[in-house]
Amino acid sequence: MQLHGEAKRVLGIVFDSDLGNGVDAALALALLYRLQGKGEARLISSSTTWSNLSSAAFADVLARFYAGPPPTGASAHFQRPLPPIGMAGDGNVDGDTAVLKAVIEKKTADGMPVYPCGIHKLNDTAEPAALIRNSLTAQFDANCVVVLAGPATNLVQVMDLPGVPGLIKRKVKLLVMAAGAYPDGPVDFRVKAGVAAAKRLLAEWPTPIVAVGTEVGDALPFPGSTIENGFDWAPDHPIVDAYRAFQPMPYDAAAPSMAAVLYAVRPDGYFKLSPPGTIAVLDDGRTRFTPAADGRHRYLVIDPAQKEKVIRTYTDLVSG
Amino acid sequence: MTITRKALHRRSFLRGMGAAVGLPFLDAMVPAMAFGNAWAAKPPLRMAFAYVPNGIVMEQWNPGYEGCLAELPRILKTMEPHRDDILMLGNLTHNTGRALLDGAGDHGRCSGSYLTGIQVKKTTVDIRAGVSCDQIVATHLADRTRFPSLEVGMEDARQAGDCDSGYSCAYTNNLAWKTETQPLPPILNPRALFERLFGNGVILSPETRARQADYRRSILDFVNEDTRKLEASLGPTDRRKLDEYLSSIREVERQIERAEKTNAQIDPHMEKPYGVPADFAEHFRLMSDMITIAFQADLTRVVTFLMTREGTSRPYRELGISDGHHPCTHHQGKPELIEKVTRINTYHATQMAGWVARLKSIQEGDRRLLDNMMLVYGAGLSDGNRHLHEDLPTMVIGNAGGTIKTGRRVVYRKETPMCNLHLSMMERMGVHMEHFGDSTGQLSFADLA
Repeated sequence: MQLHGEAKRVLGIVFDSDLGNGVDAALALALLYRLQGKGEARLISSSTTWSNLSSAAFADVLARFYAGPPPTGASAHFQRPLPPIGMAGDGNVDGDTAVLKAVIEKKTADGMPVYPCGIHKLNDTAEPAALIRNSLTAQFDANCVVVLAGPATNLVQVMDLPGVPGLIKRKVKLLVMAAGAYPDGPVDFRVKAGVAAAKRLLAEWPTPIVAVGTEVGDALPFPGSTIENGFDWAPDHPIVDAYRAFQPMPYDAAAPSMAAVLYAVRPDGYFKLSPPGTIAVLDDGRTRFTPAADGRHRYLVIDPAQKEKVIRTYTDLVSG
Repeated sequence: MTITRKALHRRSFLRGMGAAVGLPFLDAMVPAMAFGNAWAAKPPLRMAFAYVPNGIVMEQWNPGYEGCLAELPRILKTMEPHRDDILMLGNLTHNTGRALLDGAGDHGRCSGSYLTGIQVKKTTVDIRAGVSCDQIVATHLADRTRFPSLEVGMEDARQAGDCDSGYSCAYTNNLAWKTETQPLPPILNPRALFERLFGNGVILSPETRARQADYRRSILDFVNEDTRKLEASLGPTDRRKLDEYLSSIREVERQIERAEKTNAQIDPHMEKPYGVPADFAEHFRLMSDMITIAFQADLTRVVTFLMTREGTSRPYRELGISDGHHPCTHHQGKPELIEKVTRINTYHATQMAGWVARLKSIQEGDRRLLDNMMLVYGAGLSDGNRHLHEDLPTMVIGNAGGTIKTGRRVVYRKETPMCNLHLSMMERMGVHMEHFGDSTGQLSFADLA
């Protein structure tokens, strides 16, 4: 209950994704920053499940882009530094995608990076388990949602820190994971990239879990026409560059992670939920949902009546 | 060959009426069989923390490079002669010093959590922190030395009252916590520390001491007989070592007497208690010399040294700075205030540099005393203006018996818990713990050695 005179508690979001491995997670992060701008949520931790410095750098570019230019002069001494970006491993995994290159390597006419970035080496990033744990310690009880848009590897490491399962139980009200296909379906690469971690996460994560399957992302894509027409106000925009680099235009990008973010922040009015049950991860990376009255898992179900509203919300917010 | 040489016990004392003076590490303490046996002849390892408050002007602390230490920034310029003995650590964080829903009070939190790794309870009454890492080690080594640990300070030992936005002074004025509710207040008065180290446990009142001032003798006079007996049994090298060591004690004693006389002549209403030098550098020198002697004589292996208390508004008139330290740190970008804080930070580091030089000058076996130490110099805040708890200014001085590779700057990943350093240090002191505070593991061996 909110007490008289008490400020509204803004929902904290932990966002852990395979940023740059496609464009879905970038779109979701953009949506999250816009919802943060409206005061509906606050991104308390941003991390990548990918051990790749460019992926972390992309997250940093987005953080700086949406934070706006840093203050100068005396006011710079009041500005708290941007939160660090978490990155799995030691950043040595090669294979920068076209998406990452399009953003990180974009230069101005005089050869300077178009997008400011503060991540150039491993120790510019944070170890994700400590970062996520620390971000949770500063949250009110049950006032946080974790959004996973990548393999479960980072979250499993968080759970392994002493005392953290209890902390999660206290601070986090829900985990929304954009992974799998429901009630069953083909292999999702995000699950396949960490089958053991996904199994552990679903078995041991101490809060309810809502899964967002590939079927939701496919049915509610982010329209490419918005990229073509909706960003005229920005001469350079990292989301536009990432989107254009991912696939030949025009295309509509599957966006399960956007659905995950939208549900995490606005749980009412956009989607339906399955009955409770249990999600099992098969050894080949497929997921299977079994209804059970006492189950802690559900999956997101498209509400055909809200389809247009969902996509309009995506486009209005991200291009706004 | 029959070896008959009997070694002098490491914990021998020169005793006399009301006095017990520990001995430094002498060759005569090494059993004859142990010559050439590194383990048996190994001096003990010590752990110490020297803490400065209110953060540091980080632009003048952090070198702009990693790896081998070369030119040091302005604050650490006087440390340059010692750069081969320093390991500068970057990005260590104390998350438990942050607000974490508890609102204002970063000074109270950061000092309370510095060695405990615990988010301290915001209260002025029923204080609660955690057992500090130094005390975990002290308990482990309790039967090895006369004092499990020494707590030394230079400013304020109030244990009650509100010292920062609802945080008890117990948090700002102590570093060491024996239990989660029992801090160990630092000794501020040089005479009190001297009598603790060399006396029989009775600390004289200022009045009694003043009455005795005219006829008091050196504490060394009381142990004269033992000294003569011992000298007769020592070789020339050990005799020289013993002489140097006893001279250093006598010098400390003289300085204390001088401070007491000086204080007796100045305004009796000044806030400094009797016998505490008004001059910061003089006070620091006395306290650090006594810590050195305590380490040399193996009276303790664990020390916390709160140079001034967290949140202090002490002016530094000796530097021509009459504004309080804390208000200056909230400089809001004003260059003249940043300059003042930088000068205070530099002044502190200069005192440390002098201490390090003395620790390096003392031989202990085939190494220097500093080589058998881990002396952490640092603060619980980085940017004092914004009250930041990340990238805490931290340097480890001394190579812990060769287990720490110094002469470098190592920058860890962001949010790396400060408690990881504590865990690594405790391990070297013989205490293995899986985790401490909010640690996520020891600082990796490859980074430290």
